[in-house]
Amino acid sequence: MKTKQILTLVLLVLTNAIFAQSGKQKKADKATREWRYEIECAGIGKDGTYLIKVWSYSKKADIAITQAKKNAIHGVIFKGFSGGGQGCTSQRALATNPNIEEEKADFFEPFFEEGGKYMKYVSESSDGNVGADDRVKVGKEYKVGVIVSVQKDALRKDLEAAGVIRGLSSGF
Amino acid sequence: MKNRFHKSIFTLLALFALNFVSAQAKKPTIMVVPSEVWCNTNGYMTTYNNQGTPTKIPDFKKAFQENANLLQVVAKINTLMMDRGFPLKDMSSAIKTLESESAENAMMSSKSGAGISESPIDRLKKVAKADIIMELTWTVNTTGPKKSITYTLRGLDAYTDKQVAGATGTGAPSFSAELPVLLEEAVLANIDGFNAQLQAHFDDMFANGREIIVRIKKFDSWPDDLEKEFDGKELGTVIEDWMTANTVKGRYSLSDSTESMQLYEQVRIPLYDATGKATDARGFLKGLQTFLKGAPYNITNKLTMKGLGQAVIVLGEK
Repeated sequence: MKTKQILTLVLLVLTNAIFAQSGKQKKADKATREWRYEIECAGIGKDGTYLIKVWSYSKKADIAITQAKKNAIHGVIFKGFSGGGQGCTSQRALATNPNIEEEKADFFEPFFEEGGKYMKYVSESSDGNVGADDRVKVGKEYKVGVIVSVQKDALRKDLEAAGVIRGLSSGF
Repeated sequence: MKNRFHKSIFTLLALFALNFVSAQAKKPTIMVVPSEVWCNTNGYMTTYNNQGTPTKIPDFKKAFQENANLLQVVAKINTLMMDRGFPLKDMSSAIKTLESESAENAMMSSKSGAGISESPIDRLKKVAKADIIMELTWTVNTTGPKKSITYTLRGLDAYTDKQVAGATGTGAPSFSAELPVLLEEAVLANIDGFNAQLQAHFDDMFANGREIIVRIKKFDSWPDDLEKEFDGKELGTVIEDWMTANTVKGRYSLSDSTESMQLYEQVRIPLYDATGKATDARGFLKGLQTFLKGAPYNITNKLTMKGLGQAVIVLGEK
């Protein structure tokens, strides 16, 4: 009898934890859609890549770290980023149509879902380690800065092939 | 019988649709060229006597033969543009092709001993050219032991003289990096911004038509001029009306007009003609040529072109 009660309690706690995590993930995805992240150049990447630093917000620091990859791809496609130090120059967004995210929702929804295709184009350059200065508590949540490398040439080619953006030689 | 008629109509429509769908606009050629400033700074200039005035012009051949850094930067830009599906014309190869063609023309003769015909204007036009020039400049900045690169890339429309794209910036200063590494970084940092502007230029071209320059001139042997009246309308005005009717949304600027010449700038022409075939400045002006040849004008005229974006009609003779 006692064992049963303990098992039920453990199950309840586990379910609660999973739902809480999923709720926080949903909140993080909502923040991405609402442009609640910052993106800046972190240096000149290797050929075909951008090296960028993404600042994401979440009540849980680990979610902010994992969301950084999604935010990086979202930012490269729709937002662009400004230049600054380390020889960085400003880069425009890959998509020039400001309404493309809504117009091509059937492409972008599966693309940005958990474990979606966006993962193919991004990797963390610091193996998940975040410097002390890059983890800031702002009110009740964390603002975490993660440096990631985005395979922008591969991303651009796949978006062109999917008809989401126009290629330089489209129409010729 | 009725069935056969329907079939022919259907085939005709399918052929027309196929032609329309497969029609591709004429692709502009692009070439990377070192700027005059860079050539002058690095000593790649040559001087010639221009009717008594010594004039300095860039010696591109010497620059490509002697400067390995130039070759590296041009090769890197060419590779990156090829990756974007837009291979560039290579200037050093274009110069070599021109030279070998000139040698071949000089040696070629028919069985009867006739040589290749070449007018002075043909000779003048024999230069390495492209529709869009990517003009490249870089300077090395030195502060104590630190070095950095200031890099400028300008995309210039060879016909309208407009800058259609540009990228400029100074890289991060470095104590140890060698010049080729700094140059590669500069190219990588700037090429996407440049291409984004080039893409915007092409998008504008697809939306509003190709921008060209049109010149109307007259041979001095022709007794008439652009002020000659037809049904109370001067010839110059007749040509202007034709331009209004045939340009995209009637867009052009008449920059200069006298009795013997007219200069039309910012002329927006459609990318395809009425049959769905891709067209350019020459194709567009063929319409005006035919119009002027016909009644009531009956003016013989000569049409010459310069690439995709510039054409001249000279009135009075062929």
